[in-house]
Amino acid sequence: MSEPEPLDLARDVLGVELPPERLAENLAAFARILEEIRKLRALDLTDIHPSIVFDPTAPYRREPRA
Amino acid sequence: MSPPLWAEPIEALAPRLRAKALSPVELTRACLDRVAQLDARLLSFICLAPDAIEQARRAEAEIARGDWRGPLHGVPLGVKDNYLTADMPTTAGTTAPGIAFPRRDSAAVARLRRAGAVLIGKTRTHEFAWGNVTPPVRNPWALDRVPSGSSGGSGAAVAAGLCAAAMGSDTGGSIRMPAAACGVVGLKATFGRVSRDGIVPHSWSLDHAGPLTRTVGDAALMLGTLAGYDPADPACRDEPVPDYTAALGRPIAGLRIGVCRNHFFEDNQEDVERAVEAAIHDLAGQGGTVVDFTIPNLAYGLAAIFAIELASSTAYHDVSLRAGRVRHYTPDVRQLVELGRFVTGPDYLKAEQVRAVLMEDFRRALDRVDVIVGPTTPITAWKVGEWTARIGDRDESVLAASWRFTFPYNLTGLPAVSIPCGFDRQGLPIGLQIAGRPFDEATVLQVAHAYERTHEWKERAPAL
Repeated sequence: MSEPEPLDLARDVLGVELPPERLAENLAAFARILEEIRKLRALDLTDIHPSIVFDPTAPYRREPRA
Repeated sequence: MSPPLWAEPIEALAPRLRAKALSPVELTRACLDRVAQLDARLLSFICLAPDAIEQARRAEAEIARGDWRGPLHGVPLGVKDNYLTADMPTTAGTTAPGIAFPRRDSAAVARLRRAGAVLIGKTRTHEFAWGNVTPPVRNPWALDRVPSGSSGGSGAAVAAGLCAAAMGSDTGGSIRMPAAACGVVGLKATFGRVSRDGIVPHSWSLDHAGPLTRTVGDAALMLGTLAGYDPADPACRDEPVPDYTAALGRPIAGLRIGVCRNHFFEDNQEDVERAVEAAIHDLAGQGGTVVDFTIPNLAYGLAAIFAIELASSTAYHDVSLRAGRVRHYTPDVRQLVELGRFVTGPDYLKAEQVRAVLMEDFRRALDRVDVIVGPTTPITAWKVGEWTARIGDRDESVLAASWRFTFPYNLTGLPAVSIPCGFDRQGLPIGLQIAGRPFDEATVLQVAHAYERTHEWKERAPAL
């Protein structure tokens, strides 16, 4: 069995099921967004808890407090 | 001479309805006549309730026998077409085959019905609330211009007097941007204040529900009905609901009016900047203490909202992506839905970390000030089909510019209202944004009302 091409593997990892020309179009459109996201990637936020809080009581929420 | 019924705010209509001096049937007919007269040009409604007059008759009968339910009883309202409704279809602005939404009332719609409102129809939204132009809706102030979006149908309908108020939803500014572009009031309350149950999701941690109205007083009345705990919305909070009208009319002397001088004042059209600076000056003239500050980390806000919104939207549309249904979405929305695949897990979580940083920065600012004011958008309504707007000596993408000042309050979840604060040289409305502390909509509305009552912007109506 032949090894998958690196680009095909990358598409598989990202879950992108697009023909190459559509993929190229989308990557071009994403370039402007990527410029912004690179700023995020450059930040050191090691000590910051993301604003996502797991709440195990969520399924038990039913009625408002009296 | 009194204004025509369609031009009256709810705060003026409600006492007359309660006193039986005005019939809900007469009022609803006035709105439906206005729709019939104008909406072929505005295209703000996607469907009308076949039983609107019947709803009005029921309200009339209830009021006649003394069962007045409150200030929305018998008032004709529009509902954005991404809110589920039992009696009207929901499309969320899409015509893609294979996508259908349940016929049930969303929590907000159920609250409006319990309050006795007459829901006359569904207003158009940009497809899946993903965009800021709302085709094919036109701006009542200039029919060759967009109403902004994604709640552009609601903005246009309220501005044109087709209904007394309308519901919108706001993920990056979609209530406040059309409010600014159409010259009406748009209120995005604190995240968790109004249930989103039964609203077609766009981005779970950014989506907010709220009203577009003619006046600040009307926004207070609407919020009083819409606010409250709902366990069906995991984000909804069990916080007390005050009487939002109680603070209206109170002087603002002594309040600290914050102005964030970076980000919000860096790239505005000249007329926008002039109108907003004049509004800040007016608030100072009423005794508000203006406090300038900066939040440098706003430089990372666009990256954060891109990552969160794109990834969330792609997750929501994942089944449609895999089934190939997105081929039938409009090209701009299809591409945005596809792009979320390029946002990695670490990108998403770093965006949520930046969000935490911004929330803390705004908390520190709001320790020093009571509200934060600035422009709602850097540009006024742009022409249909145009993708850039002139700001100073350069052209900027309208897609990038339009939400620049609104998305920080989606990232932070803080309450924010847009109110009219003037017109540019082309006669297009300009919006002033006022934000505040979590669950302190009362102070936000107090300041908004203090500005509104000393200006005559709300008396103006588009010449249609």
